Amino acid sequence: MARLSHLRNPALVAVLGIAVLAVFAACSSPQTTFEPRSDAADKILTLYILIIVVSGAIGAAVLIGMGYLLIRYRERPGVKARQIHGNNTLEVAWTIAPILVLLVVGIPAIFGIVGMTREPVPDALHVRVIAHQWWWEVRYPGLGPNGDDLVTANEIHVPIGREINITIESKDVIHSFWVPHLIGKLDAVPNHVNRLEPFTASDTGVYYGQCAEFCGLAHALMRFRVSVDTLGDFDGWVAAQNTPAPPLEDGTYLASGQGIFIANCSVCHTVNGTAAAGTFGPNLTGFGSRLTLGAGVWDNTQDNVEAWIRNASEMKPLPPGLPDDYAYLGSGNPTMPRFDESLSPEEIQAVSAYIRSLTLN
Amino acid sequence: MAANIGILKRPIAPTGIWAWITTVDHKKIGVLYGVTALAFFIIAGIEALVIRLQLSQAEASVVSAATFNALFTMHGTTMIFMVIMPLGAAFFNFLVPLMIGARDVAFPRLNAFSYWLFLFGAILMHVSFFKGSAPDVGWFAYAPLTSSEYTPSNSVDYWVLGLQIMGVGTLAAGFNFVITILNLRAPGMTLMRMPLFVWMTLIVSFLIIFAFPVITVAITLLLFDRMIGTNFYSIQAGADPLLWQHLFWIFGHPEVYILILPSMGIVSDILPTFSRKPLFGYMTVVLAGAVIAFLGFGVWAHHMFTVGLNKWATGAFSIATMAIAVPTGVKIFNWLATMHGGSVSLKTPMLFALGFISMFMLGGLSGVMHAIVPVDAQQQDTYFIVAHFHYVLFGGSIFGLTAALYYWFPKMTGRMMDETLGRIHFVLMFIGFNLTFFPMHFLGVLGMPRRIYSYTPDQGWEGLNLLVTVGAFVIAASIAVAVYNIVRSVRIGQPSGANPWGGATLEWAIPSPPPHYNFAVVPHVRSLTPLWDEEGNAVEPPPLPYHDESKIHMPSPSYWPLLVAAGATLVAGGLLVWQWHTIIGLIVISASGLLGMYSIYRWIFEPPAAEEAAHHAHVEAHH
Repeated sequence: MARLSHLRNPALVAVLGIAVLAVFAACSSPQTTFEPRSDAADKILTLYILIIVVSGAIGAAVLIGMGYLLIRYRERPGVKARQIHGNNTLEVAWTIAPILVLLVVGIPAIFGIVGMTREPVPDALHVRVIAHQWWWEVRYPGLGPNGDDLVTANEIHVPIGREINITIESKDVIHSFWVPHLIGKLDAVPNHVNRLEPFTASDTGVYYGQCAEFCGLAHALMRFRVSVDTLGDFDGWVAAQNTPAPPLEDGTYLASGQGIFIANCSVCHTVNGTAAAGTFGPNLTGFGSRLTLGAGVWDNTQDNVEAWIRNASEMKPLPPGLPDDYAYLGSGNPTMPRFDESLSPEEIQAVSAYIRSLTLN
Repeated sequence: MAANIGILKRPIAPTGIWAWITTVDHKKIGVLYGVTALAFFIIAGIEALVIRLQLSQAEASVVSAATFNALFTMHGTTMIFMVIMPLGAAFFNFLVPLMIGARDVAFPRLNAFSYWLFLFGAILMHVSFFKGSAPDVGWFAYAPLTSSEYTPSNSVDYWVLGLQIMGVGTLAAGFNFVITILNLRAPGMTLMRMPLFVWMTLIVSFLIIFAFPVITVAITLLLFDRMIGTNFYSIQAGADPLLWQHLFWIFGHPEVYILILPSMGIVSDILPTFSRKPLFGYMTVVLAGAVIAFLGFGVWAHHMFTVGLNKWATGAFSIATMAIAVPTGVKIFNWLATMHGGSVSLKTPMLFALGFISMFMLGGLSGVMHAIVPVDAQQQDTYFIVAHFHYVLFGGSIFGLTAALYYWFPKMTGRMMDETLGRIHFVLMFIGFNLTFFPMHFLGVLGMPRRIYSYTPDQGWEGLNLLVTVGAFVIAASIAVAVYNIVRSVRIGQPSGANPWGGATLEWAIPSPPPHYNFAVVPHVRSLTPLWDEEGNAVEPPPLPYHDESKIHMPSPSYWPLLVAAGATLVAGGLLVWQWHTIIGLIVISASGLLGMYSIYRWIFEPPAAEEAAHHAHVEAHH
């Protein structure tokens, strides 16, 4: 039994076991905060590690101290407790010690706060992100046709090596914009324009983002992607996004899909170069090039797009009692209506094929 | 006095259901608070288990998104306002008069009124479940999601009205306990001879008095927005939605200390008993508690580091938040030093007290992490935060309150709780707690936001979430053991005697359970540890001189606190009826308003004691 004495505290063993297990289980996620891919995220991680090490050391020391006291002063027959009422020197010492430790982490924290609110450089790329229940509108001021905004949704393209200046707004409730690999989160607050710390991405790739502030029914399904491109790829993407979709020959399958789209979907959605110019829903220009649908949740496949058009509320919870008529759109909080009652399966198939054909090549 | 002879005579039943309904005895009210809070604890626990089942794997469909949102909102609201606060109130009520050598609180009927408002407000909020519109906007209910435009159902109205009713009761209790502690102490019980638990009750009561008016105003404005179309939080009218956040957290952060300080007091009283020596640095621990409470009013914006405050505000709140770590650290060091040189006995209350110190400390350390603002930008609104506040509120508050249950149960019932079952409870709860909440830190690091009802397999959070769910069921098992232990011990627990643990404070001087008048003779207090000699040994309570308990004047029971509370709650419920049907609503509001006002009138002119009422009736009859 003596040899097993260190295992006498099952709670301690359990905690250690969980810690080890959890570290192994925690090896990776596409949303981890521990793989910075920008200068700003890298700075945060340095501070993060510092505070973990400092607080981990304090926590371990106190727990070990507590364990020692428990074993050393466990009641024994014939041993009386010493009646100590306090010790001023000691108490002053352990008031001052935490202050010194806090200086170690507090001073870099203050410098970090100053850095978070710095102005972007003049040639930084400005991206306006506008949050809606439950999707993201993305606007690049001046990059669109004729110096207008370039508008897209739920997928943000930024170039590597250039400073990015993201401003964040909301059309309805409070949301929070967060791409753990690139930058900490910042809330989208209605009647406010918030600016993220300017950052420069260091690696190309597609990174996960997600709304972090509870924003109602479909909060969990308000995701997005950020694609960090090479400078050439980014310029190509901008140019392609601004090239109107080539006209379709009458009588083709895709042209029939376009006709149904204009007739049923253009009140809410825009496709550059066509009569579809609605702004309630996501801009679908170049939709075929997007990786996902439904705000970063579903893969962009023909089946998923058809299912979405049939009845989006089966894929993403939408407020109940959605009226069938477009009058609902006047309330300022429209959601995707179901079309399986007004369009045939063949028509839905054609619309899906049409919008998936809108690529940027 | 004709007004004194009504349909309802002043009640006199000493036992039975009417004795509980009309009681103004602080001990009975304490038990009512405790039993009610335990019932809500089980409800909130079941909500948590359903949440964990839904999150145990990716894309699960145990509940819908709408139900999930209601579950996490009600789990948080219930645990804070209907479990931890009333459990604190249970011990304030039962113990404070005993610890200061008083016969009751300063305003016994107001005390009953507080309890009934708590119960009725909690029931009112839970009625929403049966109407299919349980609150679903998160326990901090950020504007403008709470506006009629974004939440057209009644869910927010139930939340506001329930909180409002409970809040009035809490405020009344806050005043009651400040006045009780400042005025009703026994001779010789100076402020600096009060047990730490009494000190923390005093500080918490001041926190309530200063913090609750803010939430009262904030939710009144919200109610006006929703019911009569004002624009305090309306973004369409140009309001700043951050107004709500500032108001809410100016209340909300002191609220955190309202939840944790009682446990700090509990642990400060339990450690000396089981170490057989006085608390190390009594004065320092008292001051640290006061400093924590004071600083607690200056850190609210650390809940708002990601809303886009400017760097000056952010920096100031960051520094203030870190500063709270200092008095908190001092308390922990003093608690540990209390064991140094002691004779430590690991009975169940002590196990939970040690669980409190260690788990609360871990929660405090992750709290300091959030003060590092750039790091907080990665942690805010993730499971790291969920882990942090459960270490503080479960590892801290609940472990502390559980220690109090095991420690003072013998005083409340005259019977010991079973020690073996207590140890099983502790081990299961400690393991389950860490299995549930420690992996949440990792989920936060891996980017899992809180309050999501679903996630996809590619996000990489499945394994850890399953682990967390298993942990939640281990906690549930530990609670089952505890409930069994309570029920069993009430009936067949070992008789405890007056002072089973050898405690040093006044409550242990009187029999268990205490007689309704508490102290037959008001004690004289000469030290911080009146029941210990200088060696830390318990001394026999002095034999009581002859007394005639029938001559001790105690406040008589009353119906009116209950009826005033019922009237107020029905007015609140009437507002919901009014939204549904104007005329019927107005009738309900008027009728219950009249009931409330009539009951206040009767409360005011109630004769001091039942016998006197009978006497007056007798005199009237002869005229």
